Amino acid sequence: MKRITEINEKGNSEQSIEDSELYLNKIYEPNLRKLLSKCYQCVRCSGVCQLSKVQSFIPSVIIQRILEGSEDKVISSGVLWDCLTCNSCLQNCPEDINFADIVRNAKYKMKNYYKQNPEEFVAHKGIYTTISEILSEPYIQPNKNLDWVPKECKISDKGDILYFVGCIPYFKFEFQEVDPIPISSLKILCQIENRPIVVLKDEVCCGHDLYWGLGNFEAFIKLAKKNYELFEKSGVSTIITSCAEGYRTFKVEYPKLFEDFDKKFEVKHIIEYIYEKLKQGKIELKAPDEGDINIQFTYHDPCRLSRFLPKSNNLLEKLREIFNLLEGLGYSFKEMTHNKENALCCGVSSWMNCNTRSKALRYSRLLEAKEAGTTLVTSCPKCIMHLSCLQKDYDDVFSIEIKDFSEFMVNLIYVIDSKNNGEVKS
Amino acid sequence: MTKAVSKVEKEDFEPYILVFCCNWCSYAGADLAGVSRFQYPPNVRIIRVMCSGRVDPAFVLKALKNRADGVLISGCHIGDCHYISGNEYTRDRFERLYNIIIKQLGVNEKRVKLEWVSASEGKRFAEVITEFTNEIKELGPLRK
Repeated sequence: MKRITEINEKGNSEQSIEDSELYLNKIYEPNLRKLLSKCYQCVRCSGVCQLSKVQSFIPSVIIQRILEGSEDKVISSGVLWDCLTCNSCLQNCPEDINFADIVRNAKYKMKNYYKQNPEEFVAHKGIYTTISEILSEPYIQPNKNLDWVPKECKISDKGDILYFVGCIPYFKFEFQEVDPIPISSLKILCQIENRPIVVLKDEVCCGHDLYWGLGNFEAFIKLAKKNYELFEKSGVSTIITSCAEGYRTFKVEYPKLFEDFDKKFEVKHIIEYIYEKLKQGKIELKAPDEGDINIQFTYHDPCRLSRFLPKSNNLLEKLREIFNLLEGLGYSFKEMTHNKENALCCGVSSWMNCNTRSKALRYSRLLEAKEAGTTLVTSCPKCIMHLSCLQKDYDDVFSIEIKDFSEFMVNLIYVIDSKNNGEVKS
Repeated sequence: MTKAVSKVEKEDFEPYILVFCCNWCSYAGADLAGVSRFQYPPNVRIIRVMCSGRVDPAFVLKALKNRADGVLISGCHIGDCHYISGNEYTRDRFERLYNIIIKQLGVNEKRVKLEWVSASEGKRFAEVITEFTNEIKELGPLRK
Protein backbone atom coordinates (compact mmCIF):
# COMPACT_ATOMS: atom_id res chain seq x y z
CA MET A 1 0.00 0.00 0.00
CA LYS A 2 2.76 2.40 0.93
CA ARG A 3 4.44 1.94 -2.39
CA ILE A 4 1.30 2.75 -4.30
CA THR A 5 0.83 5.99 -2.41
CA GLU A 6 4.44 6.85 -3.02
CA ILE A 7 4.01 6.44 -6.76
CA ASN A 8 0.87 8.52 -6.69
CA GLU A 9 2.54 11.28 -4.80
CA LYS A 10 5.46 11.25 -7.16
CA GLY A 11 3.12 11.55 -10.11
CA ASN A 12 1.36 14.50 -8.58
CA SER A 13 4.52 16.34 -7.75
CA GLU A 14 5.89 15.85 -11.26
CA GLN A 15 2.72 17.25 -12.69
CA SER A 16 2.84 20.27 -10.45
CA ILE A 17 6.47 20.89 -11.43
CA GLU A 18 5.52 20.87 -15.10
CA ASP A 19 2.61 23.14 -14.31
CA SER A 20 4.74 25.69 -12.49
CA GLU A 21 7.32 25.60 -15.30
CA LEU A 22 4.59 26.42 -17.76
CA TYR A 23 3.70 29.49 -15.75
CA LEU A 24 7.33 30.33 -15.15
CA ASN A 25 8.05 30.46 -18.87
CA LYS A 26 5.40 33.12 -19.21
CA ILE A 27 7.17 35.55 -16.94
CA TYR A 28 10.81 34.49 -17.12
CA GLU A 29 13.16 35.17 -20.02
CA PRO A 30 16.53 33.50 -19.43
CA ASN A 31 18.26 35.12 -22.36
CA LEU A 32 19.07 38.65 -21.29
CA ARG A 33 20.78 39.53 -24.57
CA LYS A 34 17.57 38.92 -26.41
CA LEU A 35 15.87 41.62 -24.36
CA LEU A 36 18.67 44.06 -25.09
CA SER A 37 19.22 43.41 -28.78
CA LYS A 38 17.80 46.75 -29.87
CA CYS A 39 20.16 48.83 -27.76
CA TYR A 40 22.45 51.15 -29.71
CA GLN A 41 24.32 52.55 -26.74
CA CYS A 42 23.04 56.10 -26.64
CA VAL A 43 23.82 56.07 -22.89
CA ARG A 44 20.70 58.02 -22.06
CA CYS A 45 19.81 55.48 -19.38
CA SER A 46 22.95 56.33 -17.43
CA GLY A 47 22.14 60.00 -17.68
CA VAL A 48 18.69 59.67 -16.17
CA CYS A 49 19.37 56.84 -13.72
CA GLN A 50 18.25 58.06 -10.33
CA LEU A 51 20.52 55.68 -8.47
CA SER A 52 23.57 56.93 -10.37
CA LYS A 53 23.18 60.26 -8.61
CA VAL A 54 23.98 58.75 -5.26
CA GLN A 55 26.02 55.66 -6.09
CA SER A 56 28.25 54.43 -8.89
CA PHE A 57 25.75 52.49 -10.94
CA ILE A 58 25.88 52.81 -14.72
CA PRO A 59 23.12 50.96 -16.60
CA SER A 60 24.66 51.49 -20.02
CA VAL A 61 27.91 49.83 -18.98
CA ILE A 62 25.97 46.87 -17.60
CA ILE A 63 24.00 46.61 -20.82
CA GLN A 64 27.15 46.80 -22.92
CA ARG A 65 28.84 44.09 -20.88
CA ILE A 66 25.87 41.80 -21.30
CA LEU A 67 25.83 42.47 -25.04
CA GLU A 68 29.53 41.77 -25.29
CA GLY A 69 28.93 38.37 -23.81
CA SER A 70 30.13 38.72 -20.24
CA GLU A 71 26.69 38.24 -18.76
CA ASP A 72 28.22 35.78 -16.32
CA LYS A 73 30.45 38.39 -14.78
CA VAL A 74 27.68 40.95 -14.46
CA ILE A 75 25.38 38.48 -12.78
CA SER A 76 27.95 36.92 -10.51
CA SER A 77 29.11 40.34 -9.33
CA GLY A 78 25.63 40.91 -7.89
CA VAL A 79 25.59 44.55 -8.97
CA LEU A 80 22.02 44.28 -10.21
CA TRP A 81 20.65 43.82 -6.69
CA ASP A 82 21.25 47.56 -6.28
CA CYS A 83 18.88 48.70 -9.03
CA LEU A 84 15.85 50.55 -7.69
CA THR A 85 13.67 49.38 -10.60
CA CYS A 86 12.24 52.88 -10.82
CA ASN A 87 12.14 52.64 -14.63
CA SER A 88 13.36 56.17 -15.33
CA CYS A 89 15.60 54.62 -17.97
CA LEU A 90 12.67 53.09 -19.85
CA GLN A 91 10.97 56.46 -19.91
CA ASN A 92 13.89 58.00 -21.76
CA CYS A 93 14.97 55.04 -23.84
CA PRO A 94 14.48 55.60 -27.60
CA GLU A 95 14.23 51.86 -28.18
CA ASP A 96 11.95 51.08 -25.22
CA ILE A 97 14.34 48.71 -23.58
CA ASN A 98 12.96 47.69 -20.25
CA PHE A 99 15.94 47.68 -17.92
CA ALA A 100 13.83 46.87 -14.87
CA ASP A 101 12.67 43.74 -16.62
CA ILE A 102 16.27 42.72 -17.21
CA VAL A 103 17.01 43.28 -13.54
CA ARG A 104 14.02 41.19 -12.59
CA ASN A 105 15.12 38.28 -14.75
CA ALA A 106 18.70 38.65 -13.61
CA LYS A 107 17.56 38.56 -9.98
CA TYR A 108 15.92 35.21 -10.58
CA LYS A 109 19.16 33.96 -12.12
CA MET A 110 21.30 35.35 -9.34
CA LYS A 111 19.13 33.72 -6.73
CA ASN A 112 18.61 30.34 -8.31
CA TYR A 113 21.69 29.63 -10.42
CA TYR A 114 24.36 31.70 -8.73
CA LYS A 115 23.10 31.02 -5.21
CA GLN A 116 23.45 34.62 -4.15
CA ASN A 117 21.73 35.51 -0.95
CA PRO A 118 19.65 38.68 -1.31
CA GLU A 119 19.10 38.87 2.43
CA GLU A 120 21.67 41.58 3.04
CA PHE A 121 19.81 43.86 0.63
CA VAL A 122 16.34 43.35 2.07
CA ALA A 123 15.06 45.97 4.45
CA HIS A 124 13.61 45.17 7.89
CA LYS A 125 15.49 41.86 7.88
CA GLY A 126 13.07 40.56 5.28
CA ILE A 127 10.11 40.39 7.61
CA TYR A 128 7.56 41.56 5.03
CA THR A 129 8.91 39.50 2.16
CA THR A 130 8.92 36.46 4.45
CA ILE A 131 5.26 37.09 5.20
CA SER A 132 4.56 37.04 1.46
CA GLU A 133 6.51 33.83 1.11
CA ILE A 134 4.64 32.16 3.95
CA LEU A 135 1.32 33.31 2.47
CA SER A 136 2.22 31.72 -0.85
CA GLU A 137 2.26 28.23 0.68
CA PRO A 138 -0.84 26.22 -0.20
CA TYR A 139 -1.46 25.08 3.39
CA ILE A 140 -1.69 28.64 4.73
CA GLN A 141 -5.06 30.31 4.86
CA PRO A 142 -4.79 33.80 6.28
CA ASN A 143 -7.33 35.05 8.72
CA LYS A 144 -7.25 38.81 8.46
CA ASN A 145 -8.59 41.03 11.14
CA LEU A 146 -11.53 43.06 9.84
CA ASP A 147 -11.99 45.22 12.93
CA TRP A 148 -10.84 48.28 11.02
CA VAL A 149 -13.93 48.25 8.80
CA PRO A 150 -15.93 51.41 9.62
CA LYS A 151 -19.33 50.83 11.19
CA GLU A 152 -21.31 52.51 8.42
CA CYS A 153 -19.83 50.23 5.77
CA LYS A 154 -21.42 46.96 4.84
CA ILE A 155 -19.10 44.22 3.70
CA SER A 156 -19.70 40.70 2.50
CA ASP A 157 -17.67 37.84 1.12
CA LYS A 158 -19.59 37.50 -2.12
CA GLY A 159 -20.64 40.16 -4.55
CA ASP A 160 -19.74 42.35 -7.45
CA ILE A 161 -17.13 44.80 -6.32
CA LEU A 162 -14.06 43.75 -4.42
CA TYR A 163 -11.85 46.05 -2.45
CA PHE A 164 -8.36 44.56 -2.35
CA VAL A 165 -6.73 45.62 0.90
CA GLY A 166 -3.34 44.04 0.29
CA CYS A 167 -0.53 43.92 2.81
CA ILE A 168 -1.51 47.00 4.80
CA PRO A 169 -2.80 44.99 7.82
CA TYR A 170 0.70 43.50 8.19
CA PHE A 171 2.49 46.82 7.78
CA LYS A 172 0.75 47.94 10.94
CA PHE A 173 3.51 46.07 12.77
CA GLU A 174 5.87 48.98 12.24
CA PHE A 175 4.02 51.66 10.31
CA GLN A 176 0.94 53.36 11.67
CA GLU A 177 0.88 55.90 8.85
CA VAL A 178 -0.87 53.57 6.43
CA ASP A 179 -3.74 52.60 8.75
CA PRO A 180 -6.23 55.17 7.39
CA ILE A 181 -5.82 54.07 3.76
CA PRO A 182 -8.17 51.07 3.73
CA ILE A 183 -10.61 52.80 6.06
CA SER A 184 -11.01 55.88 3.89
CA SER A 185 -11.00 53.90 0.64
CA LEU A 186 -13.76 51.68 1.92
CA LYS A 187 -15.69 54.69 3.16
CA ILE A 188 -15.56 56.21 -0.32
CA LEU A 189 -16.68 52.97 -1.94
CA CYS A 190 -19.53 52.42 0.50
CA GLN A 191 -20.76 56.00 0.17
CA ILE A 192 -20.96 55.73 -3.58
CA GLU A 193 -22.03 52.15 -4.07
CA ASN A 194 -24.76 51.81 -1.48
CA ARG A 195 -24.40 48.05 -1.46
CA PRO A 196 -22.05 45.67 0.35
CA ILE A 197 -18.46 45.70 -0.85
CA VAL A 198 -16.50 42.46 -0.88
CA VAL A 199 -13.60 42.46 1.56
CA LEU A 200 -12.00 39.07 1.87
CA LYS A 201 -10.78 37.67 5.13
CA ASP A 202 -8.44 35.16 3.52
CA GLU A 203 -7.01 37.46 0.90
CA VAL A 204 -3.30 36.94 0.23
CA CYS A 205 -0.54 39.24 -0.92
CA CYS A 206 -0.38 40.16 -4.61
CA GLY A 207 3.25 39.04 -4.80
CA HIS A 208 4.71 42.27 -6.12
CA ASP A 209 7.70 42.32 -3.79
CA LEU A 210 8.69 38.76 -4.52
CA TYR A 211 8.39 39.43 -8.22
CA TRP A 212 10.42 42.65 -8.44
CA GLY A 213 12.50 42.50 -5.32
CA LEU A 214 13.63 39.01 -4.49
CA GLY A 215 13.24 37.29 -7.84
CA ASN A 216 11.20 34.53 -6.21
CA PHE A 217 8.95 33.76 -9.17
CA GLU A 218 7.76 30.41 -7.85
CA ALA A 219 6.18 32.01 -4.81
CA PHE A 220 4.75 34.77 -7.01
CA ILE A 221 3.05 32.20 -9.22
CA LYS A 222 1.64 30.41 -6.19
CA LEU A 223 0.26 33.67 -4.83
CA ALA A 224 -1.22 34.60 -8.19
CA LYS A 225 -2.98 31.25 -8.41
CA LYS A 226 -4.33 31.62 -4.90
CA ASN A 227 -5.63 35.11 -5.66
CA TYR A 228 -7.17 34.02 -8.92
CA GLU A 229 -9.05 31.21 -7.20
CA LEU A 230 -10.22 33.53 -4.43
CA PHE A 231 -11.53 36.11 -6.87
CA GLU A 232 -13.33 33.46 -8.86
CA LYS A 233 -14.85 31.95 -5.75
CA SER A 234 -16.23 35.24 -4.50
CA GLY A 235 -17.75 35.96 -7.89
CA VAL A 236 -16.43 39.49 -8.29
CA SER A 237 -16.22 41.32 -11.58
CA THR A 238 -14.48 44.51 -10.48
CA ILE A 239 -11.38 44.70 -8.33
CA ILE A 240 -10.65 48.07 -6.78
CA THR A 241 -7.42 48.75 -5.00
CA SER A 242 -5.83 51.78 -3.43
CA CYS A 243 -2.32 50.42 -3.78
CA ALA A 244 -0.11 51.36 -6.71
CA GLU A 245 1.89 48.15 -6.69
CA GLY A 246 -1.13 45.92 -6.38
CA TYR A 247 -2.85 47.77 -9.21
CA ARG A 248 0.05 47.30 -11.57
CA THR A 249 0.48 43.67 -10.63
CA PHE A 250 -3.16 42.89 -11.33
CA LYS A 251 -3.29 45.02 -14.42
CA VAL A 252 -0.08 43.98 -16.13
CA GLU A 253 1.44 40.85 -14.58
CA TYR A 254 -1.56 38.66 -13.82
CA PRO A 255 -2.90 38.71 -17.42
CA LYS A 256 0.50 37.37 -18.47
CA LEU A 257 -0.08 34.34 -16.26
CA PHE A 258 -3.80 33.87 -16.87
CA GLU A 259 -5.08 34.77 -20.31
CA ASP A 260 -8.65 35.31 -19.15
CA PHE A 261 -7.81 37.48 -16.14
CA ASP A 262 -8.45 40.62 -18.20
CA LYS A 263 -11.84 39.45 -19.40
CA LYS A 264 -13.04 38.11 -16.08
CA PHE A 265 -12.01 40.93 -13.80
CA GLU A 266 -11.85 44.63 -14.32
CA VAL A 267 -9.06 46.13 -12.25
CA LYS A 268 -9.42 49.72 -11.16
CA HIS A 269 -7.39 52.02 -9.03
CA ILE A 270 -9.39 54.15 -6.64
CA ILE A 271 -8.32 57.19 -8.73
CA GLU A 272 -9.93 55.69 -11.82
CA TYR A 273 -13.00 54.80 -9.85
CA ILE A 274 -13.51 58.30 -8.47
CA TYR A 275 -12.84 59.82 -11.91
CA GLU A 276 -15.46 57.61 -13.53
CA LYS A 277 -18.05 58.42 -10.90
CA LEU A 278 -17.32 62.13 -11.33
CA LYS A 279 -17.81 61.83 -15.08
CA GLN A 280 -21.02 59.89 -14.57
CA GLY A 281 -22.24 62.68 -12.34
CA LYS A 282 -22.79 60.44 -9.35
CA ILE A 283 -20.53 62.37 -7.03
CA GLU A 284 -19.40 65.91 -6.64
CA LEU A 285 -16.49 67.58 -4.95
CA LYS A 286 -16.98 69.78 -1.94
CA ALA A 287 -15.77 73.35 -1.87
CA PRO A 288 -13.30 74.02 0.93
CA ASP A 289 -14.30 75.53 4.24
CA GLU A 290 -12.85 78.91 4.98
CA GLY A 291 -10.05 77.47 7.05
CA ASP A 292 -8.89 75.06 4.38
CA ILE A 293 -8.26 77.49 1.56
CA ASN A 294 -4.63 78.02 2.33
CA ILE A 295 -3.74 74.35 2.20
CA GLN A 296 -1.38 73.82 -0.69
CA PHE A 297 -1.06 70.28 -1.84
CA THR A 298 1.18 68.50 -4.27
CA TYR A 299 1.27 65.00 -5.69
CA HIS A 300 4.06 62.46 -5.67
CA ASP A 301 3.71 60.10 -8.63
CA PRO A 302 4.59 56.54 -7.64
CA CYS A 303 6.69 54.80 -10.28
CA ARG A 304 4.20 51.94 -10.46
CA LEU A 305 1.47 54.30 -11.58
CA SER A 306 3.51 56.43 -13.94
CA ARG A 307 6.46 54.86 -15.68
CA PHE A 308 5.45 51.27 -15.12
CA LEU A 309 2.06 51.41 -16.78
CA PRO A 310 1.58 50.97 -20.52
CA LYS A 311 1.46 54.28 -22.34
CA SER A 312 -2.20 53.80 -23.29
CA ASN A 313 -3.14 53.95 -19.61
CA ASN A 314 -3.82 57.59 -18.82
CA LEU A 315 -4.31 57.25 -15.11
CA LEU A 316 -2.22 60.29 -14.29
CA GLU A 317 -4.16 62.50 -16.69
CA LYS A 318 -7.36 61.42 -14.98
CA LEU A 319 -5.84 62.30 -11.64
CA ARG A 320 -4.75 65.71 -12.90
CA GLU A 321 -8.29 66.32 -14.08
CA ILE A 322 -9.62 65.62 -10.60
CA PHE A 323 -7.03 68.02 -9.20
CA ASN A 324 -8.02 70.64 -11.76
CA LEU A 325 -11.59 70.37 -10.58
CA LEU A 326 -10.39 70.82 -7.01
CA GLU A 327 -8.38 73.86 -8.04
CA GLY A 328 -11.51 75.34 -9.58
CA LEU A 329 -13.21 75.00 -6.20
CA GLY A 330 -10.50 76.92 -4.40
CA TYR A 331 -7.88 74.40 -3.36
CA SER A 332 -4.39 75.15 -4.51
CA PHE A 333 -2.54 72.37 -6.24
CA LYS A 334 1.04 72.79 -7.31
CA GLU A 335 3.20 70.32 -9.22
CA MET A 336 6.64 69.46 -7.96
CA THR A 337 9.64 70.19 -10.19
CA HIS A 338 9.81 66.57 -11.21
CA ASN A 339 6.35 65.23 -11.84
CA LYS A 340 4.36 62.60 -13.71
CA GLU A 341 6.73 60.34 -15.66
CA ASN A 342 9.78 62.27 -14.54
CA ALA A 343 8.95 62.01 -10.85
CA LEU A 344 11.79 61.25 -8.49
CA CYS A 345 11.86 57.88 -6.79
CA CYS A 346 10.96 57.43 -3.14
CA GLY A 347 14.21 55.52 -2.85
CA VAL A 348 13.13 52.00 -1.97
CA SER A 349 11.36 49.49 -4.11
CA SER A 350 9.99 46.12 -2.99
CA TRP A 351 11.73 46.36 0.38
CA MET A 352 15.15 46.30 -1.25
CA ASN A 353 18.13 48.48 -0.42
CA CYS A 354 17.06 50.81 2.33
CA ASN A 355 20.35 52.54 3.11
CA THR A 356 21.96 55.96 3.36
CA ARG A 357 21.96 56.34 -0.43
CA SER A 358 18.26 55.72 -0.76
CA LYS A 359 17.73 58.12 2.11
CA ALA A 360 19.49 60.79 0.10
CA LEU A 361 17.00 60.19 -2.72
CA ARG A 362 14.08 60.43 -0.35
CA TYR A 363 15.46 63.58 1.19
CA SER A 364 15.71 65.32 -2.16
CA ARG A 365 12.15 64.26 -2.95
CA LEU A 366 10.85 65.70 0.30
CA LEU A 367 12.73 68.95 -0.26
CA GLU A 368 10.96 69.28 -3.59
CA ALA A 369 7.67 68.57 -1.89
CA LYS A 370 8.37 71.22 0.71
CA GLU A 371 8.87 73.79 -2.03
CA ALA A 372 5.58 72.85 -3.66
CA GLY A 373 3.21 72.72 -0.73
CA THR A 374 2.39 71.73 2.81
CA THR A 375 0.54 68.51 2.05
CA LEU A 376 1.99 65.71 -0.02
CA VAL A 377 -0.56 63.39 -1.58
CA THR A 378 0.42 60.09 -3.11
CA SER A 379 -1.23 56.77 -3.94
CA CYS A 380 1.32 54.22 -2.88
CA PRO A 381 1.39 52.90 0.70
CA LYS A 382 5.07 52.10 0.36
CA CYS A 383 5.93 55.65 -0.70
CA ILE A 384 4.06 56.92 2.33
CA MET A 385 5.95 54.61 4.65
CA HIS A 386 9.36 55.36 3.18
CA LEU A 387 8.89 59.10 3.07
CA SER A 388 7.38 59.43 6.52
CA CYS A 389 10.11 57.18 7.92
CA LEU A 390 12.69 59.71 6.73
CA GLN A 391 10.70 62.59 8.19
CA LYS A 392 11.44 61.31 11.68
CA ASP A 393 15.17 61.83 11.08
CA TYR A 394 15.16 65.26 9.48
CA ASP A 395 13.57 68.24 11.16
CA ASP A 396 13.44 70.48 8.10
CA VAL A 397 11.06 68.18 6.24
CA PHE A 398 9.05 67.14 9.27
CA SER A 399 6.35 69.74 8.66
CA ILE A 400 5.11 68.11 5.43
CA GLU A 401 1.90 66.22 5.88
CA ILE A 402 1.93 63.00 3.87
CA LYS A 403 -1.45 61.62 2.92
CA ASP A 404 -2.82 58.90 0.73
CA PHE A 405 -5.08 59.92 -2.14
CA SER A 406 -8.12 58.19 -0.63
CA GLU A 407 -7.42 59.70 2.77
CA PHE A 408 -7.22 63.11 1.11
CA MET A 409 -10.40 62.65 -0.91
CA VAL A 410 -12.65 61.00 1.64
CA ASN A 411 -13.94 64.27 3.06
CA LEU A 412 -14.06 66.08 -0.27
CA ILE A 413 -16.67 63.87 -1.90
CA TYR A 414 -20.38 63.89 -1.58
CA VAL A 415 -22.87 61.71 -3.35
CA ILE A 416 -25.61 63.27 -5.45
CA ASP A 417 -29.16 61.93 -5.32
CA SER A 418 -28.69 59.55 -2.48
CA LYS A 419 -32.49 59.16 -2.36
CA ASN A 420 -32.65 57.84 -5.88
CA ASN A 421 -29.84 55.45 -5.20
CA GLY A 422 -31.68 54.18 -2.18
CA GLU A 423 -34.75 53.47 -4.30
CA VAL A 424 -32.71 51.61 -6.86
CA LYS A 425 -31.22 49.55 -4.13
CA SER A 426 -34.55 48.61 -2.56
CA MET B 1 12.59 14.52 4.77
CA THR B 2 9.57 16.68 4.13
CA LYS B 3 7.74 13.89 2.44
CA ALA B 4 8.52 11.46 5.24
CA VAL B 5 7.02 13.82 7.78
CA SER B 6 3.92 14.47 5.75
CA LYS B 7 3.21 10.77 5.43
CA VAL B 8 3.43 9.69 9.05
CA GLU B 9 0.41 9.48 11.28
CA LYS B 10 -0.27 12.11 13.88
CA GLU B 11 0.96 9.92 16.71
CA ASP B 12 4.27 9.30 15.04
CA PHE B 13 4.72 12.91 14.12
CA GLU B 14 7.94 14.34 15.47
CA PRO B 15 7.82 18.10 15.24
CA TYR B 16 10.72 20.40 14.61
CA ILE B 17 10.73 23.06 17.26
CA LEU B 18 13.04 26.01 17.40
CA VAL B 19 13.86 27.53 20.77
CA PHE B 20 15.65 30.82 21.24
CA CYS B 21 17.25 30.86 24.69
CA CYS B 22 18.91 33.82 26.29
CA ASN B 23 22.45 33.17 27.41
CA TRP B 24 22.06 34.18 31.03
CA CYS B 25 18.78 32.63 32.19
CA SER B 26 17.08 30.20 29.87
CA TYR B 27 20.19 28.63 28.42
CA ALA B 28 21.55 28.18 31.93
CA GLY B 29 18.15 26.76 32.84
CA ALA B 30 18.45 24.28 30.02
CA ASP B 31 21.92 23.43 31.28
CA LEU B 32 20.57 22.84 34.75
CA ALA B 33 17.84 20.64 33.35
CA GLY B 34 20.53 18.57 31.66
CA VAL B 35 22.80 18.41 34.70
CA SER B 36 19.93 17.46 36.98
CA ARG B 37 18.78 14.83 34.45
CA PHE B 38 15.27 16.15 33.94
CA GLN B 39 13.96 14.61 30.78
CA TYR B 40 12.33 16.55 28.00
CA PRO B 41 11.47 15.68 24.38
CA PRO B 42 14.32 15.77 21.88
CA ASN B 43 12.32 17.70 19.29
CA VAL B 44 13.72 21.06 20.21
CA ARG B 45 16.67 22.78 18.60
CA ILE B 46 18.06 25.41 20.91
CA ILE B 47 19.67 28.55 19.57
CA ARG B 48 21.55 30.56 22.13
CA VAL B 49 21.26 34.30 21.88
CA MET B 50 22.88 36.76 24.23
CA CYS B 51 19.53 38.26 25.18
CA SER B 52 15.96 37.47 24.21
CA GLY B 53 15.90 41.04 22.90
CA ARG B 54 18.16 39.84 20.12
CA VAL B 55 15.36 37.77 18.63
CA ASP B 56 14.03 39.69 15.67
CA PRO B 57 10.44 38.94 14.60
CA ALA B 58 11.93 38.10 11.22
CA PHE B 59 13.74 35.14 12.82
CA VAL B 60 10.44 33.70 13.99
CA LEU B 61 8.82 34.13 10.58
CA LYS B 62 11.80 32.71 8.76
CA ALA B 63 11.78 29.68 11.02
CA LEU B 64 8.10 29.11 10.22
CA LYS B 65 8.85 29.51 6.52
CA ASN B 66 11.71 27.04 6.65
CA ARG B 67 9.55 24.26 8.06
CA ALA B 68 9.75 24.69 11.82
CA ASP B 69 6.51 23.51 13.40
CA GLY B 70 6.78 25.75 16.41
CA VAL B 71 8.94 28.56 17.73
CA LEU B 72 9.55 29.28 21.39
CA ILE B 73 11.31 32.37 22.65
CA SER B 74 12.63 32.12 26.15
CA GLY B 75 14.30 34.74 28.31
CA CYS B 76 14.81 35.96 31.85
CA HIS B 77 11.86 36.95 33.99
CA ILE B 78 10.88 40.60 33.73
CA GLY B 79 13.23 42.57 35.94
CA ASP B 80 15.97 39.93 35.87
CA CYS B 81 17.45 40.82 32.50
CA HIS B 82 21.23 40.87 32.39
CA TYR B 83 20.97 43.89 30.14
CA ILE B 84 18.40 45.59 32.39
CA SER B 85 15.51 45.98 29.92
CA GLY B 86 16.20 43.61 27.00
CA ASN B 87 13.34 41.27 27.81
CA GLU B 88 10.91 44.16 28.16
CA TYR B 89 11.59 45.01 24.54
CA THR B 90 11.06 41.38 23.67
CA ARG B 91 7.74 41.35 25.45
CA ASP B 92 6.45 44.43 23.64
CA ARG B 93 7.77 43.30 20.28
CA PHE B 94 6.40 39.82 20.70
CA GLU B 95 2.99 41.18 21.62
CA ARG B 96 2.86 43.12 18.39
CA LEU B 97 4.22 40.23 16.36
CA TYR B 98 1.62 37.95 17.88
CA ASN B 99 -1.38 40.25 17.57
CA ILE B 100 -0.67 41.84 14.24
CA ILE B 101 1.21 39.29 12.20
CA ILE B 102 0.82 35.77 13.56
CA LYS B 103 -2.92 36.08 14.19
CA GLN B 104 -3.54 37.35 10.66
CA LEU B 105 -1.10 35.06 8.94
CA GLY B 106 -3.11 31.87 9.12
CA VAL B 107 -0.52 30.03 11.19
CA ASN B 108 -2.04 28.64 14.36
CA GLU B 109 -1.34 31.07 17.18
CA LYS B 110 -0.22 28.29 19.49
CA ARG B 111 2.82 27.62 17.34
CA VAL B 112 4.59 30.73 18.56
CA LYS B 113 5.14 31.28 22.25
CA LEU B 114 7.05 33.44 24.69
CA GLU B 115 8.12 32.04 28.06
CA TRP B 116 10.25 33.27 30.94
CA VAL B 117 12.61 30.71 32.44
CA SER B 118 15.32 31.63 34.91
CA ALA B 119 18.69 29.95 35.45
CA SER B 120 17.51 28.13 38.56
CA GLU B 121 14.38 26.70 36.96
CA GLY B 122 15.80 23.57 35.33
CA LYS B 123 12.67 21.64 36.14
CA ARG B 124 10.45 24.35 34.76
CA PHE B 125 12.47 24.44 31.54
CA ALA B 126 11.85 20.73 31.03
CA GLU B 127 8.15 21.24 31.77
CA VAL B 128 7.81 24.17 29.38
CA ILE B 129 9.45 22.23 26.58
CA THR B 130 7.37 19.12 27.22
CA GLU B 131 4.15 21.11 27.31
CA PHE B 132 5.00 23.02 24.15
CA THR B 133 6.04 19.89 22.27
CA ASN B 134 2.81 18.18 23.23
CA GLU B 135 0.81 21.16 22.02
CA ILE B 136 2.59 21.15 18.68
CA LYS B 137 2.19 17.40 18.37
CA GLU B 138 -1.52 17.83 18.85
CA LEU B 139 -1.66 20.50 16.15
CA GLY B 140 0.20 18.31 13.68
CA PRO B 141 2.71 19.43 11.10
CA LEU B 142 2.52 22.98 9.79
CA ARG B 143 3.43 21.87 6.32
CA LYS B 144 0.79 19.43 5.26
